[in-house]
Amino acid sequence: VTSQPTFGDFLQAAGRQLDTAGASMTTAANGDVDEVTQSLLRVVTVLDRYARDATFPFDEVAAADTPLLNAWARASLDARQALANAAALLRTRGVPGPQPGTPPATTLARHLDSAAVSLAAGRDLLQTHFAPGPRGGRQSRSDWAPAIGSPPVTRALLSELASLAQQVAAQGAALAWSPLPRTRGTREDRRSLGAACQWLDVFGATIQAAQQDEPTPDGDRELLHAIPLNALPPRRVPDGSEPVAGLCDGATGSALRARHAAWDAAVQATWSPGTSVTSLRRVAAASTLTSYHCEVLLRTLAARTPEAAENRAALLRAADAAGRARASWLSVANALKQVTTDTPGYVSPAAAEASNLALWTGRLAYASPEWTLVSGPAHPARAPHDLAPGTEDIPAVVAAIHHSCETLTQLTWADREQIRTAARAGRILVPTRSLPDNYDIPHPYAHAPLGRVDSLLGVYEAAGAANARTRDAVADIAEATCAPSRMLTAARAAARARPDDRLGVERVRSSGLPVQGKVPDLPGPVESTLRELGVTASDLLRRGAKIDRAGERLISAAVGEGQSLRRGQPGEQTRQRSAATAALINHALASGDSRAIALLRGQTQRQSEPPEREP
Amino acid sequence: VNRIVSAEKRLREASDLPAVLDAAYNAFEDMLAVFGAYEDPADGTFAAFVMSAASAADGRDAILFAPSLPPHRLGGPPALEDEAQPGVSAYQAARALAGLARLLAARLEQAARSAPDAPDRAACAEAWRDARCIHVLLTGAEP
Repeated sequence: VTSQPTFGDFLQAAGRQLDTAGASMTTAANGDVDEVTQSLLRVVTVLDRYARDATFPFDEVAAADTPLLNAWARASLDARQALANAAALLRTRGVPGPQPGTPPATTLARHLDSAAVSLAAGRDLLQTHFAPGPRGGRQSRSDWAPAIGSPPVTRALLSELASLAQQVAAQGAALAWSPLPRTRGTREDRRSLGAACQWLDVFGATIQAAQQDEPTPDGDRELLHAIPLNALPPRRVPDGSEPVAGLCDGATGSALRARHAAWDAAVQATWSPGTSVTSLRRVAAASTLTSYHCEVLLRTLAARTPEAAENRAALLRAADAAGRARASWLSVANALKQVTTDTPGYVSPAAAEASNLALWTGRLAYASPEWTLVSGPAHPARAPHDLAPGTEDIPAVVAAIHHSCETLTQLTWADREQIRTAARAGRILVPTRSLPDNYDIPHPYAHAPLGRVDSLLGVYEAAGAANARTRDAVADIAEATCAPSRMLTAARAAARARPDDRLGVERVRSSGLPVQGKVPDLPGPVESTLRELGVTASDLLRRGAKIDRAGERLISAAVGEGQSLRRGQPGEQTRQRSAATAALINHALASGDSRAIALLRGQTQRQSEPPEREP
Repeated sequence: VNRIVSAEKRLREASDLPAVLDAAYNAFEDMLAVFGAYEDPADGTFAAFVMSAASAADGRDAILFAPSLPPHRLGGPPALEDEAQPGVSAYQAARALAGLARLLAARLEQAARSAPDAPDRAACAEAWRDARCIHVLLTGAEP
């Protein structure tokens, strides 16, 4: 719908290169072994990077513990080892590379190079959904990121790569063992190439075995292929000439942009000027209208659906849900009238995009091609057969509604997070004129009372739930009508697979064995403080993380030695009162160090016991 | 809509900067109450009212940051009328609100030019933009 490149584009491009190479194998088996070795190394290097991405949760799982992992987890580790072995064999030959810009003469080498480029571009596409995170990990940059890191998508990815690896292995081996006299290369070179291809075959076979144990559903492969580039579609404003299909595209693109902006807004620092009441109000007002437009569109679609059709009832149910979402956004808008922030007046990208989405969905919902947010009086809704003349036109309209509802849901969560963060920093204010008379404050505004912030957060919570219900109702219609947006539902389902159970790491953790991988991946108090101060320099953040880890170790060691932990000692009371200490201890608990957890949790439990009776 | 009439009266009668700021602040608050009373999607004014309410709240907050705004409301507490007035349609309310927005914009523009201190001028200018925006949303035309 948005003509964004997807991961499937690059995967298919790599597959086509290998297919072409395979089709010309009868003539391609004559070639330069050195050239093919070097090109194969490029392919293996990219595959190895994919495998590292898939197996990073197990980096620090002790070898003795790997039997506790599930079949897929073990297979991914074995596959990574197979790729490492293949790469080592190919590197030992130390073949000189061609001059830069000079394509290899051997047909197979050229196709392998092209496949490597496509695979590398595909991995780059996946990486656009992540940013470098604390402690060498990665953090999400889009709503697709949780799905990309999910077990179902990881398994689908490994399955696809395994197929490609076996294809490459067969082609490389054919050259390595080819008896044709025209093949150039020493016996040693051919032997190394052949052995490397065997390891590639092992990679494929290992993953295939896991797949037999737990097959990858077709839907997961489809989801993998549908992962888009995390890039903003260009901002467009309707000019009044767009047909319905163009309006659907425009609404979908605008929804994507708003989601992107919402994602960025939700992770803003406490001091960010991007958190302004003006933006929050604009989002709430625009989203009230977008919800209303979705309700109108769903009722219009229901009106063009035969009364007996099952979809009609579903459309009407979704329209009712959209009506409730609209009411919930109106409650948010009204609640926001009661507060302000220390930086009013700033209109964030999320607010601008939310308004644009209201405009696009309004143009789609109303008959007038000139409709705008300032059009004033009522406009009649678009006629049912104008909105979707044929049944084949329905999926695009449903997709536009689905994307809009997904965006509205994410906007509620993103804005709630902004308010929570701003409230923690004391940035939510109230006009003192709005406070009861017993507040005698000599300033025009004051920090919002806790109750008012809680009430505001509660209204957002309710709006989030109402919008999620609408989105789910529309998702069912998207599934039933095969709308292109149904991938949103699949991505959310994949992301819901337990995030800690990435290919089985949970089994190791629940066994009580120490797993200190990057699973918790939470910044510690020092690193958090640096980030809140806006520090982005990776060396400084790394140093902060090191200090945090040293703190964890010190606390663990101190707890292990029973220092200052006996009840009633002054040291403990001080520790209990200190928020900074709480942050340190929480971080030590999150580190996954089983000894620290056992000792600190045990201590916490002891503290919650009733006090001993005085003798 | 009686609130609108009262708000217009106060705005017209305000003579000095604190009185204009106080009247403008209260006028935005009065508008918010009326917008809230007529937020019905069945009305053709729904979209304009929802968007205008956000601007009214922004305008009120802009005035809040004006140093010359009196710390307490002049002329006693506001009337507690926040329901749609019987017999007054949303369109009639919209016309009344647009009239108030036009007057508000005019007084704020004047104050933004004549206020001696820069922070007051900036606050008035920002609030003027919001009043103007409300008029555009309600009528489709500049005040």
